Amino acid sequence: MKFGRAIFDLFSSVRFGIVLLVLLFIYMSIGSAGILYPVHPNIFHPDAWTHAQMRQWRPFEMTEFEWFHWWPFDLMIGLIALTLIVTTLRRIPLRVINLGVWTIHTGIIVLIVGSFIYFHAKVEGDAPVARRKIVLKLDGVEAPVELLAAPGSSAFIGSGANRMTVEVGEIDPAWTLRSGQDEGATAYSVNLIVTDPSKRFIRQLIANHPEYTEDLMFTNDPGQPMKRAVKETGTPILEPRLTATLDYESQGYFYLRNDLAKSWALYVRPLGATQWVMRPIDGLPLYNDRISSRSEVFEVGGTPLVPIDPLSVSIPATAPNDPCPDVIFTANGYLRYAQTKSRLVGGGSNAPFNPSATINVKSAEGAKANYQLIALDPERSTGDEGLIRMVAVSSEAEFEKLLRRAEVKIVIPAAGIDIVEAVRIPQEDAKVDAEKPFIPIGDPQLGYGFRVLAAQDDLPVADRKASVLIVDIKTPDSTIRRWVFDDATLTRDVPANGGAHAGPIAPDPAVQFEYRPGGGRALLTLAAGPSPDQLRLVASFGESAGKSQPVTVDQPMTLPAGLTIEVSSYQPRSVIDTRPMIVPLEQQIRDAREMFAQILLSIPGGESRWMEFSMYAFDDFRFALRRHPFHPMQVKLADGREMELLFSRQRLPLDTEVALEEFVLTSHEGGYTGQAGTIRDYTSILRFRDSDQWGAPTQVSVNSPIEHNGLWYFQAQWDPPEPPSSQNDRGSRGLNYTVLGVGNREGVWIQLAGCIIAVLGMIYAFYVKPILIRRRSERARLAAEIRIGHSNEVVTP
Amino acid sequence: MNINSKTHMMSKLIAMFLALTTFCMIDANAQSFQEQVDLSPFDSVAVQTEGRLKSFGSFAHGEMGFVSGPRKINGQTPEFTFLDMLFRPEAYADADVIYVKAAIVRKPIADALVKAEPSLAARMDGFIKTGLISEALLQRSEVEPVMQQMQSDLLRTAKAMDSIRGARTVMRPEFLLRELRIVPSPGDQKDQQWSSMRDIMLLAADPGALKAAGATATPIAGIDETKQRECAAAWKSLVEGWTNGDAIVVNKSLVNIAAILPSMNSDAYPDASRLRWESWYFSNGNLVWIWLVYAVSVVLLLIGLVYHWRGARVAGIAVFIVAFMLHSCALGLRWWISSRWPNSNMFEAVTTSAWFGGCAAVILEIFLRRRAAAGMFALASGFASAVALMAAHFLPIQLNAQISNMMPVLHDVWLYIHTNVIIFSYCLIFMAAVSAGIYLVYRVFGGKAVYARVGVSSVGAIVGGSVGGTPGASALRGEKLGEVLDGVTMLLMKLSFVLLWTGIAMGAIWADHSWGRPWGWDPKEVFALNTFVVFAILVHVRYRSKDKGLWTAILAVVGAAVMLFNWIVINFIITGLHSYA
Repeated sequence: MKFGRAIFDLFSSVRFGIVLLVLLFIYMSIGSAGILYPVHPNIFHPDAWTHAQMRQWRPFEMTEFEWFHWWPFDLMIGLIALTLIVTTLRRIPLRVINLGVWTIHTGIIVLIVGSFIYFHAKVEGDAPVARRKIVLKLDGVEAPVELLAAPGSSAFIGSGANRMTVEVGEIDPAWTLRSGQDEGATAYSVNLIVTDPSKRFIRQLIANHPEYTEDLMFTNDPGQPMKRAVKETGTPILEPRLTATLDYESQGYFYLRNDLAKSWALYVRPLGATQWVMRPIDGLPLYNDRISSRSEVFEVGGTPLVPIDPLSVSIPATAPNDPCPDVIFTANGYLRYAQTKSRLVGGGSNAPFNPSATINVKSAEGAKANYQLIALDPERSTGDEGLIRMVAVSSEAEFEKLLRRAEVKIVIPAAGIDIVEAVRIPQEDAKVDAEKPFIPIGDPQLGYGFRVLAAQDDLPVADRKASVLIVDIKTPDSTIRRWVFDDATLTRDVPANGGAHAGPIAPDPAVQFEYRPGGGRALLTLAAGPSPDQLRLVASFGESAGKSQPVTVDQPMTLPAGLTIEVSSYQPRSVIDTRPMIVPLEQQIRDAREMFAQILLSIPGGESRWMEFSMYAFDDFRFALRRHPFHPMQVKLADGREMELLFSRQRLPLDTEVALEEFVLTSHEGGYTGQAGTIRDYTSILRFRDSDQWGAPTQVSVNSPIEHNGLWYFQAQWDPPEPPSSQNDRGSRGLNYTVLGVGNREGVWIQLAGCIIAVLGMIYAFYVKPILIRRRSERARLAAEIRIGHSNEVVTP
Repeated sequence: MNINSKTHMMSKLIAMFLALTTFCMIDANAQSFQEQVDLSPFDSVAVQTEGRLKSFGSFAHGEMGFVSGPRKINGQTPEFTFLDMLFRPEAYADADVIYVKAAIVRKPIADALVKAEPSLAARMDGFIKTGLISEALLQRSEVEPVMQQMQSDLLRTAKAMDSIRGARTVMRPEFLLRELRIVPSPGDQKDQQWSSMRDIMLLAADPGALKAAGATATPIAGIDETKQRECAAAWKSLVEGWTNGDAIVVNKSLVNIAAILPSMNSDAYPDASRLRWESWYFSNGNLVWIWLVYAVSVVLLLIGLVYHWRGARVAGIAVFIVAFMLHSCALGLRWWISSRWPNSNMFEAVTTSAWFGGCAAVILEIFLRRRAAAGMFALASGFASAVALMAAHFLPIQLNAQISNMMPVLHDVWLYIHTNVIIFSYCLIFMAAVSAGIYLVYRVFGGKAVYARVGVSSVGAIVGGSVGGTPGASALRGEKLGEVLDGVTMLLMKLSFVLLWTGIAMGAIWADHSWGRPWGWDPKEVFALNTFVVFAILVHVRYRSKDKGLWTAILAVVGAAVMLFNWIVINFIITGLHSYA
């Protein structure tokens, strides 16, 4: 009883309330700004102090949101609420004079209740919505093929001679319609580059205007590289068997924000399936690296950057439709910011033949270049855009073949010509030069000549490989464009400047060409094999062109034109060691968030592999959005089943599909120039799919969200234009997708009511109460004066 | 001579004196050209930059700010330097005009240069002190590896390297010319980009020379071609005049260009008087020198308070009112120039916050002019404004006065409601801390433990006069001074208490529809709430404690410290420190 009384007293003590407020202040300051602590005994030295976010330390691993939802905080708020209630009821009599305090305290309690509801129901995330996808259908092919309308995205449809490769070329987010009823209006236009074994053309699709779909043909005129097919052939569609349409690429999920509360997830699907099944990962850290052995990672300069701190988080199946509910994966490592790096190391004598070499080349002018080439890795077997190359040969015959140059055999019966000419293969991406000079065939007086426009060796055609040379052939009376194959039956003439017919025709027998592809040697070719220690160099220039010379490691070799080449290391049986490299703090990009995180995933009964973080669980690479990492990984389970895994964030269904009709960027004076200061607003025009029907378009822009089925949608990120980032990248004119913020906000009206009640109380307590008190004391004074009869005034209360 | 810092005030004076006596002797010609050139016609020339139309003056201030930061080059105006750098880039190639703000990157650069060439030691000492270095020195091969190394440290030095690279880019004449978008776009389409002088200047070139260079000159479609040609011709003579040092030709060309440009599209061209005022505003240091007037009023009011000297107090209030009126004009001018209420960047927030404090002080002084507290609010507000404007004066990089477009997220009515309520409350908190500080000084010097009594009202001490004592100076004696100070603190504290709470709630309303959450435990939010918690503690401690005046004063100062921590440390350090913040 006595104890109960003491507790009751405690909760009705203002002093206790003050102590709680002071604790609240300290707790909030530490969680938000962090702490400063000395790291050196001389505390007056400016460098003696260091700053740390305590909540991010290993034992805590908390985001701001988590720190402010931890039980000590909840307890503190609970105690404050209790003290407030008990003290108000017990110590503050409910009188007119005290109405202010009562109201303030009521407001605070209401706010606490509202916040409790709000924060406990809170979900917040983001949903990327792309503008359109392309649906491809080909006569005779059952299943349509889909791909995202994003620059560079590509797919193929059909097989054999019917196989068409479709690549998304330029996308113009605001294409001006040039004809028809909508002349002058702008629309989203997508150009597809369609290639089949016999031709290449562009199909232009315009969103919401399928009637304007048309094909464009390539021409040889640099002034007008493309022509509308309708002008040339009378029909807008060159290839009626292929239909391509633009369709909404709707989004049905939103991904939880990891920086609000950790929400890691592993996604699983059988290899070949499209639907991902989510497994939440609970207990994975966010801020601190966790490794159990130094050999798991690379560290810069070999200096340890992180302590050994093992991790073991099991990731069991939670969804009923999990493809392997019996398999429990484990996360045995975590890196917050790492990049996957591969290093070549020498394998043992049992390792397979996989030659690699480090080569230093020095020019006469002193320019130096260093290459690390791996013969069997197509990505890393060449350097300097193919000028230097490393190959592995398995036999002497193969090596001989390598020495062979590319040639073309030309027979012109009318002129009595039967010769073999060496051809120089132009660079793959070299521009087709209409002014390129013709090489005379035989006596120049005869008027025959040819020039090589392009070459492609080992092109997959139907079920085999073919090599092709595209040449222009000049005869005394005309010029012929010919695709010369190594298999003469495939060789065709293509009317160079349009002409009356479209499409290839059988070659003119008056001039016969036969292509003999070369061995694929580069300017400098390093050949390893057939015996593992054998390394030879073939240079394609100077006097020794086409001859080989043996290479000794660390011995410089002088080549024509003052070139010096030195192989500094050669590994015939190299093994690639791939590990994440921990990026030192000073080299990390700020605001990268979890973009470069990795986990070490253990597959039961199998291996452990590092997995890179993916921002979203896209269906496929064809649907991955620009700038958003997507790294699915294929694994084999112990029982042989093949699975695909993805390390990402948890997602929740949106209840309703959402599609992006249009994305509009508005700008200030002078238009958008690439500078952030010129942007006025971002607007996503959305459509929601309710009861199987797309609803009317609604706008979401900055500061103006919309609500749909209890969720709020905000404008969060956009897709800015970007120049090409690499040789293989097309660049983008942007505006191909939007990222919406999605969240709920239950209890905000209670929170708001609490704030308003409290402020009314403050005004009463600060500005009404003093007036009441003054009046009262005035009245008391007057009453006293009246009582002693000093006043003759008439008093009105 | 180009050092602009209070610590170097004395050396500045000496340097100025020396400069006055030596200039005419050594550099008479150059000086006279600079003096003879009259750039005032260009005050009304508009430049389109970063989505805004600015006056040439404010544009040149901005661009030159990228090169030499807060430093002035050779005592020239930024307008002059801009054109001089454009027409005579060679004069700046080895001049120390690039300002390196980050002190930690100065030493490695200086060390590399001194190591390569010991005779540079003296110049490098100057660089370490002033941060000014030349393009030619930065280009040297010894500096390159050092800069590359620092570029790779994203945490500490990469930003400084970026700004050096930015300065070097801006200095290039091709950049200056390209960015000089002064030729209005035809028609009334606002999102059409204006053209640079580069796009039309070849129209005045000799056709033969043009052909020889393989260039063509085509006029811009939609603009009167003769005007374009006239403008190009005037530009040509400007360039020639400038390179020949012929001020007469230069002045004539400037007048011509300034007259032709607006006539190319007079409907789309901004108002000339607005442009002129904008140039004036920037060439007068954004009028932040008003802090000096405030400082004078503070000194007078303090004298009046300490020595109970009514004359000083009255004079102090008068000077305060003058300062406040100047401050209001500066604010109004900025409002007019930028066509929006100034509250969207750090400079505007700080100066407008101080102005709100001034408004509150003026109103309170009028209402309480016969009370004991007369002059106290002017003192507190004068102090706050002096500090705020002084900060804007001495920290031009942190409080950048450039007018730029607001981020899309700021375009909302709540920007004007929430931000202004918050900054108003912040100024009141600061003012409360001023009177609390004086109260603490009063207690240190043996003042009695008194406080303003409730009932006689929170404004008890202030209305003290009406309760019994005589108004004015006599009330400021003895115990009354403590009561007055405590009463002023409480009055300001209560106002800021309500405003801060309201402001936070309004911020939550805005955040709710802008970011999707009313409260996200963001450090700025947390420390605004922390400030409020301190005041909540103050109210309850005052209720419980015996020495109410002392605790009130201490907590009012603590509250102001938390508020300033939020404004300075959180804004500039914490939010930029952690990528997860």
